[in-house]
Amino acid sequence: MALLRLENITKRFGGLVAVNDVSLEIEAGESIGIVGPNGSGKTTLYNVISGVYPPEQGRIFFEGKDITNLPAHRRAPMGIGRTFQIPRPFSSASVRENVAVGAMFGTLSGKVSVDECSEIAEHYIELVGLQAHKDKDSGTLTPVEKKLMEIARALAMKPKLLLMDEAMAGMHPRDIDDMVKFLKKIKEDEDITIVSMVEHIMRAVAGFAERVMVMYRGAKLIDAPTAKALSDPRVIDVYLGRPTGEGEDAEG
Amino acid sequence: MKINIAKYYPLIPVYAVYLTMFLVGFFVPGLWQLVALLAFYCALGQSWNIFMGMTGYVDFGYVTFIALGTYGMALGITYFSQFPGLGIAIIFIGLLLALFLSTLSAILEAGIALRLRGAYFAIACIGINEGLRHLIEGAKIWGGSEGMLYWKELTEVFGTETAIQLTTLWADIAVFIIAAMAAFINVYYMRSKIGYALTAIREDEDAAKVMGIDTTKYKTIAFLTSGWLGALVGAMAWGLKLTHVFPADVFVIHYTVECIVIVVLGGIGTLLGPLVGGLIYGLSKYWLAIILPGFQLLIFAPIIICIIIAFPEGVIGVVKRRVKGTRLERYII
Repeated sequence: MALLRLENITKRFGGLVAVNDVSLEIEAGESIGIVGPNGSGKTTLYNVISGVYPPEQGRIFFEGKDITNLPAHRRAPMGIGRTFQIPRPFSSASVRENVAVGAMFGTLSGKVSVDECSEIAEHYIELVGLQAHKDKDSGTLTPVEKKLMEIARALAMKPKLLLMDEAMAGMHPRDIDDMVKFLKKIKEDEDITIVSMVEHIMRAVAGFAERVMVMYRGAKLIDAPTAKALSDPRVIDVYLGRPTGEGEDAEG
Repeated sequence: MKINIAKYYPLIPVYAVYLTMFLVGFFVPGLWQLVALLAFYCALGQSWNIFMGMTGYVDFGYVTFIALGTYGMALGITYFSQFPGLGIAIIFIGLLLALFLSTLSAILEAGIALRLRGAYFAIACIGINEGLRHLIEGAKIWGGSEGMLYWKELTEVFGTETAIQLTTLWADIAVFIIAAMAAFINVYYMRSKIGYALTAIREDEDAAKVMGIDTTKYKTIAFLTSGWLGALVGAMAWGLKLTHVFPADVFVIHYTVECIVIVVLGGIGTLLGPLVGGLIYGLSKYWLAIILPGFQLLIFAPIIICIIIAFPEGVIGVVKRRVKGTRLERYII
């Protein structure tokens, strides 16, 4: 049984088809990268999975249960955690409190006391290396620190499936390598299935994901092992266009 | 689960202030009315803060709860005075009715307004408040616009002596007790799962949902608690103390605005804030009316503006930042 199964998901915003008939199966223990240029529907797909809005068509199954119409707040305790592309810290709360919220309302919801959540929070804050900032208001962190805090917050939820949205955008290449190592380790230690979404930091995808789904204009372009997917001519086309100019950093 | 006493340390300064106020009012002749007024403002600020301070929703219709609380007490005394055997229980029936009516209106408001955000929420609450007032006046419910007068009923049950005691002393003491309760609930919520959830909702409601927080549930908890406390304040400070109620006097948005000013002055979402705000607001309003009768509002407004400029996060908001990292930190929240 797949951990997460998407069946023909379509999400429209008015006339815009943001996600078009996307199906995807993720097995427990996989590391998957979702790749695609800006505007290809990746974040919308994440929002549909985490329950921010329902899809117009298609069904979502988590551990075999149909969660298509389940509100967002019921999905997190089932084990779906996520980070956001633009970090969304609870600004006036300290880093520790932010991460504690994850522990409090994630899969441990109802099983742990507030004090225990604080301890869990400390653990994950240390894991991502923010212990020096744990009492700071999260709003005062740098963007990269906010991203790390979001990862700690999502991990404190003890999720089965972790959806990471551009976790490495804006990071120094050396930090990206560290982050990839960190994610690999976390995946083993915590037994989490990780879906990582990136726009154009192929270094991160290539280092981390075993399998890649490439999205383009809302649809699934390819779903294959990483090396194969990233060297596929269609994928190169999407990112770089036909060989006419020099702009190798094109985002599509 | 073990109870962590240290979590409740912030109540110490709060209760110290309330106790001082009470003793000053009780023993210094002529100050009881002032102290009662201050307690009224502090209790309202503290009650209102539970919802607005923690969720960031500005409830302009808050006075609805106070008004319905007043009606609860009025109904309790008016209708249950035919059973003089009930004695003091009548007052408690009045309180229960206050809670009942405020629950009804909370359900109404939660159903209509709590789905909305920002200005729309505020406007919907005002609408419900005005609607209720005109319903009572127009449909002649509970005496319509002529209101209810129940001093006579009160004296029939308790005798004149006790009735005077009840309205001039015990009603005010009850407000102190409600204020103390509100402070306790405030801390209890802040230190529990509820407080974490409400902070998350205030900062980013959509992210909160994705983190697994049932936002509707926690907003409703805060809304109801805040409404109940407001209703209790209304029942005692208006219902029992004044022994009359007129719709045009109680469904007045002005009181909501006073709550907002008190909480913002003192520091939104803090525990000590509404108390400090209530004291500043009540005292300056009171003294200005004595020193400069007729001009008090003219002077009052600039004073409020100056305080807000000096303490943009409210007095306690600023103090809280100052004491961060010091030993005072755990007493001031």
